[in-house]
Amino acid sequence: MQLGSRSAVVVGLVAACLAVTGGARAQSVVEVDTSHTVFYEAPTKTHMFVYSPSADVQASPWAWLDVRGGWEADVVSGASVATKAGPAYASNHADVISTASVHDFRNMARGEVALKGDVTSLTAGYAYGIEHDYQSNSMHVNARTDAFQHNTTFELSYARNFDTVCDRVQSANAVLPSEWTALEDSTGCFTKAAGRTTHDIGIDTYEASWGQAWSPVVETQLTYTAQLVDGFQSDPYRSVILGEGIKAQEHIPNERAREAVTARIAWYLRSIKGAVRLSLRGYHDTWAIDSGTAELELEKSLGESFRVMLRGRLYKQSGAVFWSDDYTGGLPPLGSRGQYFTGDRELSPFWSWLAGVRAVWTINPAAHQRLLGFIESFKLAGSANMEGFSYDQYTLGGTPVSNAIAYVATVSLALGF
Amino acid sequence: MRLPVFLFALSLLSLSGCATVAPQQRAILADPTMQFDAEAKHDAALRHALENREGSMGGTGVSGGGCGCN
Repeated sequence: MQLGSRSAVVVGLVAACLAVTGGARAQSVVEVDTSHTVFYEAPTKTHMFVYSPSADVQASPWAWLDVRGGWEADVVSGASVATKAGPAYASNHADVISTASVHDFRNMARGEVALKGDVTSLTAGYAYGIEHDYQSNSMHVNARTDAFQHNTTFELSYARNFDTVCDRVQSANAVLPSEWTALEDSTGCFTKAAGRTTHDIGIDTYEASWGQAWSPVVETQLTYTAQLVDGFQSDPYRSVILGEGIKAQEHIPNERAREAVTARIAWYLRSIKGAVRLSLRGYHDTWAIDSGTAELELEKSLGESFRVMLRGRLYKQSGAVFWSDDYTGGLPPLGSRGQYFTGDRELSPFWSWLAGVRAVWTINPAAHQRLLGFIESFKLAGSANMEGFSYDQYTLGGTPVSNAIAYVATVSLALGF
Repeated sequence: MRLPVFLFALSLLSLSGCATVAPQQRAILADPTMQFDAEAKHDAALRHALENREGSMGGTGVSGGGCGCN
C-alpha cells in the first residue's frame, strides 16, 4: 500500500513535469557548448603541456529559469622544479637544481541555477573538483539588477571554497618547517595510506560590480574583488635550499588577504564598425605583492556573422615580502627572509606581456527557421595567445629563465536547439 | 586614503542616474563587440592560465573549483 502511494506520487510528479515541459515547449531552449584548450610552455629546465576539454549544457524551460550543468578537465604532463636554489649556493654546488615529472588529471563537475526577472537575476552554483593531490568543493551565489532604464547594472557575488590538499606526514623529529620534507609523489593521497595526510584550505571571494552606459557608444564597468585564503598554500612537492645541506619543503604563510579594483571601458567606433575595450586593474595583498594590469582589446565585426578581436596585455608585479632567490645568503636582494621561504616564480617580481587574436563565427537563423532543420543558433570561436615572462630576480641556481613564453589556444562550439 | 576613493566612487555613482540612454539608442550597446564578457566561457581557460602564472587575481568573476595550478 505504501509502495503504491509512492508510485502514485512519482507518477504524478513525472506527469506534472511532462505537462509543464510540454506546455512550455515553445519557450524551451537548450544550449550545448564545448571548448578545447591547449597550454604549452618550455622555459629553462622545465616544460608543461595541459589539454583542457569542457562540455556544458544549459536548459531554459521557462523565460525565468536557466539550469546549467557542465564538466571540465585538465590533462597535465610536464616537468617542474622540485628543488630550488639561488646563485650564491649554486656557485659551490653544481647541479643542485632538480626537476620532477608531473602527470595529473583534474576533473571538475559543476551545476548552476539562475532565476531571471525583468531587471533582476539570482544565480547559485556548485562545483566539485578532484585531482590526484587536490580536492575542491566550491559554492557561489550572484545577484544582479538593472536600474535607470537598464543603463546601470549592479552585481554582487560571493564564493566559498572548501578545498583539501594532500601532503606527507612529517617525521616526529621534524619540529621546525626547515626540517620538513617535500611530498615525493601523489601515491596514496586521499586514502588511509601511511605517510599521507591532508590540509584544509578555505577560500572566501567577494565581488561587487557597477556597470554604466554613459552614451549610446560608451559604457564602463568598475569591479572590486576581495579574497581571503586560509590554509596550506605551499607547493607540497617543492623543496628550497636554505643552507649548507639544508633542504626543506616550501613554507609560506597560511593566511592571505587579496583585493583588486578593475576599471573597464568599451567605446564603439562607428568608423571601423568595431569597439575598443580597455581594462586597468590594480591589485594588493597581505604578502606585499602589488601589481598592475593593462589590457586593450579591439574587436571588429566583419559582416553580419563574423567578429575578429586583437588583444594586448601588460602585467607587472612586485615580489612577496618573503621572496628571495637564494635563502642561503649573498648580497641583497638575496638572503634569508625570516620564517618563510618559497621557490615559486609567481611570488617573485616580474613583468609579462600577452598578445592574442580571437575570431567568432555566429549564425542566428531568422525566426521560425533552423539550420539543418533543428539548430536554432550556432557559434564557433577560436583564439590563440602568447604570453612572455621576464623575471627580475628568479633564477635556477643563478641561471636566468629564458624562453619563458606560454602558448594558449582554444576552440569552442556552441549550439542552441 | 580609502575615504577619498570612497567619495570619488560615490560621486561617480550619483552621476549614474543622470546618464540616460533611451531604449531606441541602445542598439550599439547591445552589440557583442560592446560586451566585456561576451565570450567569457571561451576565454575562461586563458584566464585560468593567467591566474596560475601570476600572483594576482580579480575582476573576472568569483566562480571556480579545483586547483589546476601546475
